[in-house]
Amino acid sequence: MRILKAAFLGIVVLGMAAAGQVEITFWSAPNPSQEVFWRQMAEAYMAAHPEVKITVSPMPETPTSEAGILAAIAGGVAPTASENVFIGFGSELVRSRALVPWNTFAGWEDLVRARNISATIKCWEFPDGNYYIIPMYVNAMLTAWRIDILRELGYEKPPRTYSEVLALGERLKAVYPDKFLWLRSELEVPTWWQRWFDFFVFYYAASKGQPLITGNTITADDKAAVEVLRFFKALRDKKLLITEPLAEGFEVGKTVMTVLGPWTFPWWKENYPELVYGETFVLSPPPVPDWYPATEPVYTFADAKGVVLYAQTAPEQQKAMWDFIRWVLSDPEHDLLWIKITGMLPARDDVGTNPLFTAYVEEKEPALLPYAKSIAFAVPPIAHPQFVEIQERMGLECIYPVLTGELSPEAGWEAWKTSIKDLLK
Amino acid sequence: MKWQKELGGWLLASPYLLSAVLFFLIPLGWSISLVFFDWNLISPVRTYIGLDNFREALSSTRVYNAFLNTYKFMAIIVPGVLVSSLSLALIVHHLPRLKQFYAVGFFLPYLASGVAIGLVVRGLLAYDSPFNEFLRQVFGSSPRWLRDPVWAVLVIGFMIIWKFSGYYALIFLAGLQGIPRELYEAASLDGAGPFTQFRKITLPLLYPAFYTVLVLAVGLCFGIFTEPYVLTGGGPRFATHTWQLEIYYQAFERFRAGYGAAVAVFNALATFISILIIRRIVEAWGARRGFR
Repeated sequence: MRILKAAFLGIVVLGMAAAGQVEITFWSAPNPSQEVFWRQMAEAYMAAHPEVKITVSPMPETPTSEAGILAAIAGGVAPTASENVFIGFGSELVRSRALVPWNTFAGWEDLVRARNISATIKCWEFPDGNYYIIPMYVNAMLTAWRIDILRELGYEKPPRTYSEVLALGERLKAVYPDKFLWLRSELEVPTWWQRWFDFFVFYYAASKGQPLITGNTITADDKAAVEVLRFFKALRDKKLLITEPLAEGFEVGKTVMTVLGPWTFPWWKENYPELVYGETFVLSPPPVPDWYPATEPVYTFADAKGVVLYAQTAPEQQKAMWDFIRWVLSDPEHDLLWIKITGMLPARDDVGTNPLFTAYVEEKEPALLPYAKSIAFAVPPIAHPQFVEIQERMGLECIYPVLTGELSPEAGWEAWKTSIKDLLK
Repeated sequence: MKWQKELGGWLLASPYLLSAVLFFLIPLGWSISLVFFDWNLISPVRTYIGLDNFREALSSTRVYNAFLNTYKFMAIIVPGVLVSSLSLALIVHHLPRLKQFYAVGFFLPYLASGVAIGLVVRGLLAYDSPFNEFLRQVFGSSPRWLRDPVWAVLVIGFMIIWKFSGYYALIFLAGLQGIPRELYEAASLDGAGPFTQFRKITLPLLYPAFYTVLVLAVGLCFGIFTEPYVLTGGGPRFATHTWQLEIYYQAFERFRAGYGAAVAVFNALATFISILIIRRIVEAWGARRGFR
């Protein structure tokens, strides 16, 4: 079967080579705006390079984009490259020898320099010293606050520490008994990736970005982790945290705090135009424990994804894709276009300082500025191949029992650490 | 001549046979071959691990919960769907007109997307839904519908009953329409009231339909996926975790195709044995009462 597939692939590539054209395929994320960006890039590139034909299509969305990629590789129909791969899933693909390292192509160093990612790229190095993922965007997770409601309560800026948050919550309940501070119904659901948007955000803030796991070792800051769990429990006990679904929460002011990524803004613009940055909501780094120094920067979780090159395709196609990706990522104007189309910040060291980006963001998308400033303190997902089960067990063994009072925060944290030992081998 | 007749039969059956081979037998054989390997479907390395996947599944809390929860769901869904679908069938059967219209109407939930229904139910049971606001005003509190282990099972159970009642009602309706009217007329002449007629004529003659619906409903409980996937993610604390959620989680989220296939084999065995036992019990009960 494999021989037949290889023969077929060879015939196709040879046929196209004879016709003087290499055909490559690119899967964009299942997000219409990202698809628009890649289509524009492909059209512009093909206009200047008629020897290449690029087909851009969105990757399968159901059941998950990861499962879609997996099924495509298993079925022998993987694209030449795709975006939307985070480092955890990338590790699984690397373990399965499904990816080609980008740094093996001539011109890699030029790309790193041209895109200004020499600092950012360090987080994306794999244990074998290779770079299989070129980071496309980094969404630092921040907390959004309904400043209009906070002002009614006598606050001019969001609270910084846990005690301040709890005090705000008590004031909120005294004035508006039906409102909640935070809606997080997923906190009681074990779904692994939901931990990115609750525990990880608060944990990295409390621990100054201390990794949870390094290699096969738990390197978490225990004190910070327990403090976060205590904070969640206190919010729940004071009825400031609601873990049941609400039809609408932050958007209509039923809650005053939420953990937010910048991808929400286009949706808000369309559905909740009354939400205006600086007027109805503001952004801040995640709250921190009371002992956290006010002068220190606050870390957070980074929803960061990038572009990978699949090993299943022919070397000519891989080379053609490398040339295309290098062309896209070497021009800062393309990254500006990315911001304009997707509303997300490109993974660049200079995204918060380069006037090309800051001028646009300040004028057109001021809500993105705090995200740009936080990128330097945003920690990407854990890279362990067992990331799914590690994060699933965090919900099951730790967060849920702590919230329901079955375990103390200390016992819950120890339970999670004990439960993942068998995975870290 | 005979071979021509046979060929015609084979030709007519061929679409089904072909789809059964393509979408059932080949995947089944492939799944069985997977269970002995630690493999994620894409790695060039397939590690042979013998029966380790089965051993792991047998000692897994997740699998144990899926196994147990199936019977919890069965205890709610099977009686619920039997009563509701039979009731619907009786109502539609006794309608003076527009029977087909109502029968199709009740069948519609079966065609609706499980995800869409899940989202509607999620909205209906949201903390701030009018229904919950009403409950809080009248009773002072509202249940944590999707976050309480008992309520979550009941909500999912009732969603499935609602979805499948119309479909199973069609089976009962076909059974009801097959009962000769003369039997009821003769019973009336003998002085039998509606309840006696139902007990002595309708129920015994509906036995084949009852048997079919029962077997389908039991099988259905082993295939629950969309409702808990959308509403609870299998929680709280595995209270709504099912076989299909476990297979999906292992194969498509943890990329453990071999282990997922081993769980699927256990699921198939549990389904087969459960249906076999229930069939035997119902057949014995039917035989004792002279229904078959």
